[in-house]
Parts: sequence; C-alpha cells; structure tokens
Amino acid sequence: MKNSRKIYSILLAGVMTTSFASCSKSFLDEKLKSSYAPDNTLVDELGFEAASTGLMSIFRNDYGNTQGLMATYFVGTDMAITGQPNAVQAPFDDYRNLNSSVTAASSIWNWCYKVINAANNIIKAADNKAATLTDAQRLLYKAEASFFRAYAYNHLSILYGGVPLLTEPVTTPRTDYTRATEADVIALIISDLNFAVANLPDPAGVKKQGRINKYAAAQLLAEAYLRANKPAEAQQAAQSIINSQFFSLVKNRYGAKANQPGDPFADMFTYGSMRRSQGNTEAIWVVEQQYNITGGGASFDQRRREWGPFYINMAGMKLADSLGGRGIGRIRPTNWWTYELYEKKDMRNSQYNIRRNYWYNDPASPKYGQLVVATGFDTIQNIYAHTTKWYEFQPNDPQGSSSFKDRIMMRLGETYLLLAEAQFMQGDLAGAAASINVVRNRAGATPVDAAAVNMDYILDERARELTAEELRRLTLIRTKKLIERTKKYNPKAGPTISDYNIHLPIPQSEIDVNKDAELKQNEGYATK
Amino acid sequence: MQKNALCNRQPYAPMRAPGRLFPTKMLLVMKLTFFLITAAILHASAEGYAQRITWAGNNVPVEKVFSAIRQQSGYTIVASRDVLRNAHPVTLNVKNADIRDFLDMVIKDQPLKYTIEQRSIFISPKPVALPAAASADQQAIDLKGKVTDEAGNPLPGVTVRVKGTTQGATTANDGTFTIRVSSGATVVLAFSYMGMRPEEVTVNSSNRSSLNIILKPAIEQQTEVVVVGYGTKKRSDVTGSISSVPKDRLKNLPVTNVLQAVQGAAAGVNIINNSTRPGSSPAFYLRGLKSISASNAPLIVLDGIPFSGTYNDINPNDIESIDMLKDVSASAIYGARGANGVIMITTKRGKSGKPVITYNGYGGPEYQTNVVKNMNGDQYREKNHWYNIQAGRPTAPDLPYLSEQQNYANGVAPVDWQKEISQQGYIQSHELSISGGTESVKYYVSGTFLKQEGTLKGYQFNRSSIRANIDANVTSWLKTGVNMFFVNNNEDGGRVSLFNANALSPYGTLYNAKGDYEIYPIAPQTLYQSPLIELYNPAINRNKNINASGYAEVAPDVVKGLKYRVNASYGYRPRRTGSYIGRKMGDNLGTANVYNEESKQWIVENVLSYAKTFGKHALDFTALYSAQQDLLFTTTLTANTFVNDNLDYNNLGAAQVQKTYSADSTSTLVSQMFRANYVYDSRYLITATIRRDGFSGFGASHKYGVFPSVAVGWNIQNEHFMADLPVFNQLKLRASYGRSGNQAVGAYQTLTRLTTEPYIFDGVTSMGLIPDKLGNANLKWESTTGLNVGIDFAILNNRLSGSIEGYSTKTYDLLLSRKIPSLSGYNTIFDNIGKTANKGLEILLNSKNIVGDGFTWSTSFNISFNKNKVVALYGDNKDDIGNNLFIGRPLLGIYDYTMLGIWQEGEDNKVDPGTKPGYIKFADINNDGKIDANDRSYLGTQLPKYIAGLTNTFAYKNFSLNIFIQDVHGSLRPNNILDNRDQGGIVNLPADIPYWTSENKINTNPSLFYNNPRGYKYAQDASYLRLKDVTLSYQFNRDLLSRYKISNLMMYVSGRNLATITKWKNWDPETSPSSITSSSTRLNNGQGTGQQSSDFYPNTATVIFGVNISL
Repeated sequence: MKNSRKIYSILLAGVMTTSFASCSKSFLDEKLKSSYAPDNTLVDELGFEAASTGLMSIFRNDYGNTQGLMATYFVGTDMAITGQPNAVQAPFDDYRNLNSSVTAASSIWNWCYKVINAANNIIKAADNKAATLTDAQRLLYKAEASFFRAYAYNHLSILYGGVPLLTEPVTTPRTDYTRATEADVIALIISDLNFAVANLPDPAGVKKQGRINKYAAAQLLAEAYLRANKPAEAQQAAQSIINSQFFSLVKNRYGAKANQPGDPFADMFTYGSMRRSQGNTEAIWVVEQQYNITGGGASFDQRRREWGPFYINMAGMKLADSLGGRGIGRIRPTNWWTYELYEKKDMRNSQYNIRRNYWYNDPASPKYGQLVVATGFDTIQNIYAHTTKWYEFQPNDPQGSSSFKDRIMMRLGETYLLLAEAQFMQGDLAGAAASINVVRNRAGATPVDAAAVNMDYILDERARELTAEELRRLTLIRTKKLIERTKKYNPKAGPTISDYNIHLPIPQSEIDVNKDAELKQNEGYATK
Repeated sequence: MQKNALCNRQPYAPMRAPGRLFPTKMLLVMKLTFFLITAAILHASAEGYAQRITWAGNNVPVEKVFSAIRQQSGYTIVASRDVLRNAHPVTLNVKNADIRDFLDMVIKDQPLKYTIEQRSIFISPKPVALPAAASADQQAIDLKGKVTDEAGNPLPGVTVRVKGTTQGATTANDGTFTIRVSSGATVVLAFSYMGMRPEEVTVNSSNRSSLNIILKPAIEQQTEVVVVGYGTKKRSDVTGSISSVPKDRLKNLPVTNVLQAVQGAAAGVNIINNSTRPGSSPAFYLRGLKSISASNAPLIVLDGIPFSGTYNDINPNDIESIDMLKDVSASAIYGARGANGVIMITTKRGKSGKPVITYNGYGGPEYQTNVVKNMNGDQYREKNHWYNIQAGRPTAPDLPYLSEQQNYANGVAPVDWQKEISQQGYIQSHELSISGGTESVKYYVSGTFLKQEGTLKGYQFNRSSIRANIDANVTSWLKTGVNMFFVNNNEDGGRVSLFNANALSPYGTLYNAKGDYEIYPIAPQTLYQSPLIELYNPAINRNKNINASGYAEVAPDVVKGLKYRVNASYGYRPRRTGSYIGRKMGDNLGTANVYNEESKQWIVENVLSYAKTFGKHALDFTALYSAQQDLLFTTTLTANTFVNDNLDYNNLGAAQVQKTYSADSTSTLVSQMFRANYVYDSRYLITATIRRDGFSGFGASHKYGVFPSVAVGWNIQNEHFMADLPVFNQLKLRASYGRSGNQAVGAYQTLTRLTTEPYIFDGVTSMGLIPDKLGNANLKWESTTGLNVGIDFAILNNRLSGSIEGYSTKTYDLLLSRKIPSLSGYNTIFDNIGKTANKGLEILLNSKNIVGDGFTWSTSFNISFNKNKVVALYGDNKDDIGNNLFIGRPLLGIYDYTMLGIWQEGEDNKVDPGTKPGYIKFADINNDGKIDANDRSYLGTQLPKYIAGLTNTFAYKNFSLNIFIQDVHGSLRPNNILDNRDQGGIVNLPADIPYWTSENKINTNPSLFYNNPRGYKYAQDASYLRLKDVTLSYQFNRDLLSRYKISNLMMYVSGRNLATITKWKNWDPETSPSSITSSSTRLNNGQGTGQQSSDFYPNTATVIFGVNISL
C-alpha cells in the first residue's frame, strides 16, 4: 500500500510537469518552414532578385490556363473570326453575348491585378529601411516593378476604362473598391514609366537578358502619352529609343536558319533567333521561353496552336515541322487581312511570313504533292492564310499544347509606328510618312505618301508589321477604332457590335464580391 | 510443458475456463492461439458423456472412491481436503453404473454435492437445505443447461435461481450450470445477468434434457452503455444527444468503409456518397452544415483518443460500436473540435471466457446502378448535323475530325466507349478474429483482407489490416492496455476515364495498327485521349496507417472512486503514389511522378476522475490535460526525358529533367477540460463541462478558446407517481446548452506567404518569388452554441420506444475562405465572418410490431429535418452574392436565373437581344425590360429538407430479413448533364437528353449551339428514395452446431443500392460529379458543374453472399 502511494505521487508529479512544460507559449507558436514570407525574404538583394523574377513569371503566365483567351484579343476585331469554335471566344464573334459573366472579362482582369499586387509588394518593400539594399538597388527594383505595374494598368485601362487604383500591396481584404477615372490611371502609368525610364539600365547594363531596360519603359511611355493625348511627349519617348543606338531594324539574314531559304523578317521569328543575344538587333524586350527546361515556359501558351490552321484535320495532310507544328485553327484571319492588306512584294507577305498554300504531304495519299484546294468549311478551320510568326515544332512534343517560343514583346519596328502616330497627331504628316517608310522600306514595300497617312493607314501598317504580335484589340480600343473597323472588316462580329463594346464589361464576380461599394459597370453592360 | 499437459490429459480443456485449474493464467493466453488450432485438429469428434463405473467396497474413505473413479473414467476430480473432512466412508457394490448415478450413490447422505463440467468433477459442500426442500429431496435431480448470448457465445457468471426458493447457482466459464431440483416438480428457473434481459424458464420433465437458454441484450435504453467523451455512461444517465448506430448495421453489409454502413441508420446523420469509387470515403456531417469553408466533418475519436486517419483506416469488422455526440453539450467535451459533432468509434475487445475464433467472409458482384447512355453513331451524327446548322456553318462535316470521317467512310463499327471501359465488378472480404481472455488479460486480435474490383477498368481497392487490442489488470489498482493496428490501403493501377468515354465520338478509333489503344481516338483532335490509355500507367497509390495507443489506469485503493488515466497515442501514416506516362500514352519523353507523404501525430491525455455515491446522490468529476501535435511532410518528385520506358517511376535520377518539391506543416493543440456529473436518485441528472483549447493555427492573440456547456435530464419513469402509469417503461426529458468550436483550418493561415516559381534568363533557370496567400493575423475559433431538448420514451412493455429531439444551434465567427475582389491580387482569404443557424427535429422510433413464437417483425424509423440559414455576414445585413451567402437563406443556395422555356422562332426577344431561337428564355424577375445579372434570385438549396431511414426486420425461425430504405428529400441540385455545352459540337452527349432544333421545337431543353453565356446551372430536384440494403440471413441451429464444436454459423445474402425512385436525370442523385460538401462548390454558387470531374465514378449496386462462423 505504501508503495502504491509512492507510485501515485510520482505519476501525478509527472503529469504536472508535462502539463506545465507543454503550457509554455512556444508550443503553440507557428514556425513557417516551407514557405517564404514577405517579411523575412524581401529584405536583401537575393530576395529582391527572386521577387523581380517572380514578377516576370506572373507576367509571362498571361493566359492562365484558359484555352482560347488569347484569341479574344484578335477575334471580333478587324483581324479575325473564330475558326474552330471555343466558348471563351464565342462572345467576340457575336457581341450580343458579351456580358459581365464571360470568362475573358474576369481572366484578363485577374491576371493584370496579380501583376499589380506583386509589383506593389516590391515597391513597398524596397522602401523599407531595414532591407539591406544600396540606394541604387532600391531604385532599380522599384523601377522594374513600376514598369510592370504600368504595363498592367495600361492593359486594364484600355480594356475596361477607369479601374480601381491600387498602389500599395493588399494586407487586409477590402470590399469597397471604386473605379478611378481613366485619366487618373493614365497619370499613374505615366508617372511610373517616367520613374522607370529614369532608373532602369540600358540594354548593356541589365543584369540578365530578358530583364527590363529603360527603352522598354520608354516604348510603353510613348503609348501612354498617346493615350493621354500628349503626342509631343510620345514622340520624344519614341525618339529616345531610336536615338539610343542600341537597336537597329533587321535588314539582313541572321540566326539559326540564316542559311535556309527565307528573309530577314522571318529570321526574327525563328526559334533560337529571337533574343538580342541570338542576333536580333531589333528586339527591345523579349520574354524568354525554352522547351523542357525548368522555368522554361508558361503552362498554357497557346499562340502556336491558335494561329495555326487545323491542317492535320485534312485527309492527306500530316503534321510537319516546316508547317509550324500543330495548329488547331482558332483564329481565322478576316478576308481583309488575307486579301486586301498586303502588297505582293511586301516582305512581310512573303511565303516565309505568311503561308497561303499547302501541298498534300502524306506519302500515302493519292494526292501527295498536289496543291491543297480547300473549299467551304475547310477554309474556315483547316486551311487558310496565316502568319508564320508562331511556327514552332518540338520533335518530342508533336501534340504540344503549349508554345515554348520566345515572345518579342517590343521591337524597334513598332517604335517607328508609334513615332508615326505621334507625328500624325501633331499634324506632321511628312514626318509620320517618313517614320512609316522606315518600316516599309525594310519590307521592300512601296513608300507611303504623306497625304495618304491617316489613323486608318497607321492601323493598317501596324497590322502588316505587327500581326500576331500586337494585341490588336488593345490597339484598336486605344485608337478608338474598334467599332468602326470591326463593322467594316469583320463579317461575323461586325453586325453584332455596339458602341458600348469598346470596353469589356467589369467582371460580375468582382461586382458581386465587392459588396460595400459599387464597382460601376461599364455603360451598355450596366444594369441600371 | 503446460501445453503438453493440457493436450494429453484434457482435449476439452480449451472449451472451459483455463484459469480454474491452473494458476498460471497469464501464460495460457499466449499459448491459446496455437493450442486452439491443435485442439481442433486433434479432437475431430466428441466422445460420449456416458462413463461406466464398476466398484465395490466397504467403509472406504471417499478419497479412495474418487481415485477409482478417476482411474476408470479419466475424469479429474477436484475437491479440497476441508470439504472431504466431514465426509463419511462409503459402502457400495455397483457394476457398470453411469458415473452420475454412481456419484449420486457415493455422496448420498453426505454433506457434499458435485458438479460435472465436461470431464471434471467438482466436489463442494452441500448448501444447507431448507427443511421443506430437504423433505422433497428424496427425488432430487440435477438440472443442467447452458446459457449463451444471441450469437451463441457462452455467458459465464449468470445467476441462476429456482424461483420461490433460495437455491441458486452461477454459470461456469463455458456458460453451463447445474442446479438441483426435486425431480417431479415443475420449477421456474430465473436467469439474470447484467446488461441482459432477465429470463424465466419453466422446467418440467419434458424439457429438462436440453436447457439451452439464450439471453438477449437488454435493449431497454436504461441499461445500455454509451460512449461519451473520456468515459462511458449508462444510457439512462445521458443528458446530451447521442445517437448509437444499431449494431446490426455494422454487420453483414458489403461496405468498405464504415460510413457506408452508418448512412441513414441514425437520425441527424447526413452521409453523402459522392463517389462509390473503390477506396473512396463518403462525406459526412451531423445536423446540418454549420461551417462554410471549414470542414463540417465530425471529429473521429477512436477508442477514446482523437484520431487523425481516415475512415478507410478503420476496418468496419473491428468496430464494436459507434456513438455519435450530436448536440453541442455532448460534443463540447471535445471543445475546439466538437462543433461538427463527434463520432466515437469503439473497436472490439476481448472478454474473459473461452477464446472465440470468428471468421466473417463475403463476396459478390457489383454493378453500375444507372448508366446515362450516350448517343450511338447515328444519333451522334444527327446531333452534329444540327449543331452545325445552329452554329451557322451548315457546310461543316457531321463528323468533325479526320479519323472519325475515315472510320465512318471505311465502315468501322462504332465504339461503345462506356462498354469498353466497364467491367464486371466484384467485392470480397475475409476477416479472422480471435478474442478471449481471463479476468487479468483480455485480447482481441483480427486480420482482414478486402478486395474490391470496380465496375470500371483499373479501379480497384484492397485493404489488409491487423489489429490487436489487449487489456491487462496488472494489480487491483492498475490496469493497462494497448490498441495497435496496421492498415494498408492500396488503390494501385492506372484507371480508365469515364469522363473521356462520355466525351468521345462513337466513330473514334479504339486500337491503333499495333493493337494498342489509340492515344487520340478522334485525331487530329487531342483534347480527348482514349479513356483506356491510363491502363498503360503502372500507377501505385498506397497509404498505410500504423497506429499504437496505450493507456494506464490507476485506481488507488486508498481513495475509492479516484482514477487517473493516461492515454498516449502515436499514429504514423505514410502515403506513396507513383505514376509513369510513357510513349505508349503519347509522352515521347516519358514522365514519372512520385509523391511521398509522411504524416505523424502524437497525443498525450491525462484524465483524472473521481466518482462517489452517497445515499441517493451520485457525483463524478473528470479533469483532462492533453497535448497533441500533427506533423506532415510531403515530397513530390517529377522527372522527364528518359532513355526508354523501362524504369517506370523507380529511378527518377535517370531522367534528364527533374523537379523536386517538398512541404512541411506542423500544428499543435493543448487542452484542459473539467466535467462534473450529478445524479440524484436516478431521477435528476446534471452535467456541466468546461474546456479550454489552444491551437497553433490561430492568430497570436486568439490562440485559446473556452467552451462551456451544461445539460440536465429527468428520468420521469423513476418518479413515484409514474408507478401508477405502468404503460411507460421509460420517459425521460433532456435539455442541454453549450458551446463548442471548430478549428478546421490548416496551419499557417494567419501568415502571408510567398510561393516560388521558376523562370529562365538566357536559358538558365532562375527562382522567382510570387505572392501566394494572404494571411489573416486575427484568425480565431469558429464557435457553435446550441440548445438541445429531447424526450426518450418506451411504452407497452418496450414494444414501442424512441426519442424525439429538437435543436437549435448558432455558429458564429465562421471560418470562411471567402472570396475577395481579385483586384486585390488574391482571390480568397481565411476569415471569421458572420453567423449561421441550424434548427432541426429528429425522430427515432423503434417498434416491435409482431412478437410471436416463431415470427417477429420489428421496425426502426428515423427522420431528421434540418433548416439551415445564414443569419448575419458582415454586420451590414447585405447578401454576399460573390460568396453565395444570402441572409436568411440556407447555405449551398442556388442563386440563378429562372428558366421560363425556350425562345421559339418568331418570338419577340427584345428583353434578351443576344438570344436566338433555341436559347433559354429567362424570366425578367425585376421587370426592367432586360435580362441581366439582376434577374438572378435565390431558387433553393442543395441541402435536403429531410432525410429518413426505415428498417424493417422480419425473423422467422432461423431466417431473418432486413430491409433498409433511405429517403433524401427536397434538395435542389445543379444538373450538369442538362447543360449541352458540347465543346463546339465535338463531344458526344447523353442520348436521352433532347435538344431544340428548328424541326423539334421543344420548350424544355435548349439548342445544341446554346453555349450557356449566363452560366445557368440547370438546378433540378435531386430527391430520391432508395432501397439501400436488403439482407436475408439464416442462422444455423446451435444445438446442431455444437456437435461440431461450432458455436455460431450464419449465412446471408445481402444487396445494396438495389432500386431507386428519383426524378433526377443524371447518373445518380447521390453520387454527384461536384461534391456539395466541397467548400469550393459551396462558394461557387454550385457552379463549375458544367463539367463532370475527371475521376467521376458511377454509383454501385452490390449483391453479396456471406458467412459468419464462430468456434
């Protein structure tokens, strides 16, 4: 009995000790072991390098995993109709179905604001005195982030008009956002870009190829000034790029396929020849991708398959690298683009840059080697003239759902056209014609007369030069020509488009969840 | 040595108490298993009982007589010298007498009596007989018999009494008894045993020879014991709401998961079989949805200790009982984790007595309950023809893709993809268990193997498990025990895809030229792979659970009623999946994936309790201090570009490109609890509990939560005035009020986190950081307060019993992964928002409709009504449409347009100008002349109005028939199958869903081209009435069986999901492609239902044949 008493007291004492031991505060403290937190990571150069890289990664993942989203920048404009049908694109073939619930409206919106939030994180953290950065580094990371923030706001405000303006990272959720005016948004874009131009390095000084340099910021600034109706400033910005001596138009054969039949314009869009380091002197900013390397690509880059027709759906046609790999015919260029836009001698219209003909390539086919003569429905989806800019073929990935081609985001060819636009807006038709002719001369096209320059001409030239590079919808909205030109050139969407379709609707999901203030819907889509 | 002695001398020995003869009780246990088997083999047939004795002698001491008996018969004789001291010498001359007759003669007029137990004779002093009895003694005889329970297990220690006398006996360990009565008289024997219903048997000369008494459990709730938190209680002392699953529901059903058996069997329990995919576990909630984002799953407490595995880790055959703590006061004992109720699962334990070896096995085929047939070739072409007309491209071919066109042109037979991917399912289960023990040590050991082959190719599940539960009374004051189990769940195999089979054209290509499955059957379209292609994937998917828990209970003799118990549990759950996609599956590089997960949990609980009874007062106190830690570490490895496909996923280093991910998560919990119970005179009951929990996952200033509760009960039938109302066997009122919590958020939700994503510069990988999750430093407990009132009753001699309960709970500070404007850069944040309320009524009725001699019919019925609503959200009384939350409305609402019909040609559609004939015509709810987002309204909820279960059991002689019907009523659910969005005319569709055409101008379904621009959800009534289980069993006669040393043999046929009545037009009203219990569906307004999930699996009907056998 005595013994057992002893045992009880020992046991109880044990309980008490364990109890108090586990009572100590640290037992309930959380230690984050497998994720970084902003507070402990955006504190030194390595942290900011990674954050800056992450920002580019978000940026590159522009279409998330929404198939067909990319096509909505082209379908329903003067450029294209839908080939193979797709639900995301459908409202842009018939604008009467473009409402606030459509996927395109929310997907693009969400992506832009993800970029903005990541940029705001960096800007805020770079101002934190505790971060062990030099002043130069602080300015650099802020400048990079400011560029991306401006890019996203530019994208947003063109598509949606005035949008809520966030310049600080979100730390506590809010549901009372309201829209700023479009002018306020443009003002922020201009101020961010001026800061970026002032503090970013030139292409020789960037840390790594593919990082933002000051001329990329200048190019976007030129566009922003055009939107702000400040063409003189726009001209200055564009001119600064041209005068920088860092860039020159590609006029000679170069790069990976220099020895194969082709032309200089096509060389720029050859896998392995698109970066500055690969010989592309015209490139101002290239977003990199590479097949089967960790970090080598956005998960759902659909450029190749959406621009390429679905030729393999024709009996007698086989998948071929020379045909640009597998296309599925989502974007069918309008007849205007196909038949009216180009002169025959224009390099940009060469067989290396636009494929207009196919020959049966299946040796088993009785028609092997003959020209494919498509009729009826086949000309909508399977066989049509198209740009070769996104041609790409990876032998190990013939069915590939993603493209791994670099994206030339900005190049000098466009700079001349922005310059022309700025000059035209100031009434300098001769200057505008001269700028346009720089581009036309490279292409071997007939020079334009000053008298012929107008906004439509500039837009035509942009289409010729920048097909499948510029996001056509943005350009047309920015120049307020979307409605007019869609009506004129797009037989499918034209009859359905209304004036209010100049903007996308604000996503209904955002309006619904932003319950403490009215996120005003764009007119026409508005309910009241 | 011991074993040999037993074998040689006593082949019967295992059939009786091993402890009686041999003091070394504990050793025996260890050897029993082996011995049982040997004994069974050695002793194939039973010897006769009749033993003959020939003996003559004059004045011989009884000891010598006994020794002669032993020599002649081989019987052992047990008698103490003290007993024999008073015996007088014997003079007899007997030839070839029956041993009993001989013994009777030997002890005639001696102060002795004897009992024969198998082959042992026990001599004991004769009870001092009453004079009356003594006078009648001249013709006394021994009545012998055996007492068992319904399953045929012997009951030791049963009190046997001759009514009207003081004569009595208790049964031996093998359940046998002997009692002496006068030979001519008719006597009444009364049997009583704790927990069993008392029996009286009239014995006369006709039935003397075979006295086999079966005691039935006292199903009266008064004596039933239920498991409550940190202890057990008599049902009559329970104050909260505790549903116990009828034990019958845990037996003889073809279920792989215990929840499948519980479904519909108890009031207030909602179990949704979202998938009957082999190896899947149903979703489960008690008494309505409370939380929106946090889990609604009840806490699992396994053998008294919170359990963090899954229901698949618990072998249904090992389960002794399931008790569900439903009301807040009962579950408040588990404080922070009690808000969704607690499911207390108790596994079987050994009982002292002879070892019982049981085999349970069943097997049978499985079928798909319902198949939504797809269009055949002709229907498919016709559909595409109409699609193209409606899409304004009439020249487009009816078969969109080249391979389809060629197959059709070449006259290739259309493929029935659904048939190609299906197979005959079957299920089989085998379980062997051994249990038994002595007063000191009890054991239960079981091993099971279950295998389920699905109705779709590649789907399989098998589970093997071993469990050992051992309890030991070490000393009078110390008890200790361990529960250990190991379970291996295996879902290996690449699986076919029903999703792809439904989508694919009948003119797709099944095999390629090599005879392998064609990867892209509708080439050149690659959106849909062959549904069979995954069969080439040598996938593994295994998880194991190794769990050990132990306890020590100290009850010091010095302070009576005081007990200290420590429970410790450790669970280790590794999981591994591997897959390889090779060239045959269209991956020219070869891609391997390996996932490893290691989850560990430890818990230590210290429980101090004290119970005291004085006079009519009974008090008990329980105090708890516990700590728990959960750790999770995962690694994900992917690699591609292998030289060839030979290595599968076994050597990822052999690949050119490798990616590695890992993650760690740790959470901790500390708790203190105190409970006081007071019972006065078994009439008035009161329980009060308070618990405090601290959880690491909450914000620094909100780590701790306090959860109090109180409950009272009144056993009215024990009141004196009720004596005049004998109709009531039970009448009890209960009421409780309390508060419990829900911590169900993962670790680190209070912290803002970044994630990493690689990028390249100049072809070189560089790591990027991107904002990932927005943390909420103020995160705290979600709390539920609730009132429960209940009445339990039993009338008409317990013929009708039941309970009625009403409850009202309010849940506030809801943990909500709420959507926030995406413009903030994040889509959701965990937050404590608002309040929901649940009100409900539960009725449980048990009735013995017919209790006849051979025939009994009993019915059990339960029905639960639940009404759920959002009470408040942000304090501004505004609906949160974005999060699908509407003040005053139930959760899981369908907020949608109202469909009026279909736009027909010539109708004026100015209200919705984007529409065309064949489009859905919506109602202009707000009468503003146009259809837009403001014309959505709250149409109903996916939550059912009531759920009910009806069980009828018929027993006739040895046959028993059990029929269980389940009813789920009043749920409105999105029906994805009505949404004919067919990817632009390229996928196959269900044959029975009509579509609008200019020649078939129906007003119920839209045209094929209608691509649902407004995201209409096609909500439909998903009520159903289902014949869930039918079991017919035959119990073999025990007398017959006992000849073969079998104590129980039952055979049965059981069918599951045999018939369904429903208006729901889809695969099954119960299995849904999008789970209503998943929080994303809850938030997405039921959206995302346009597509059926890629691992959708049809509901299964099963018919099995089974056998239960016990030795």
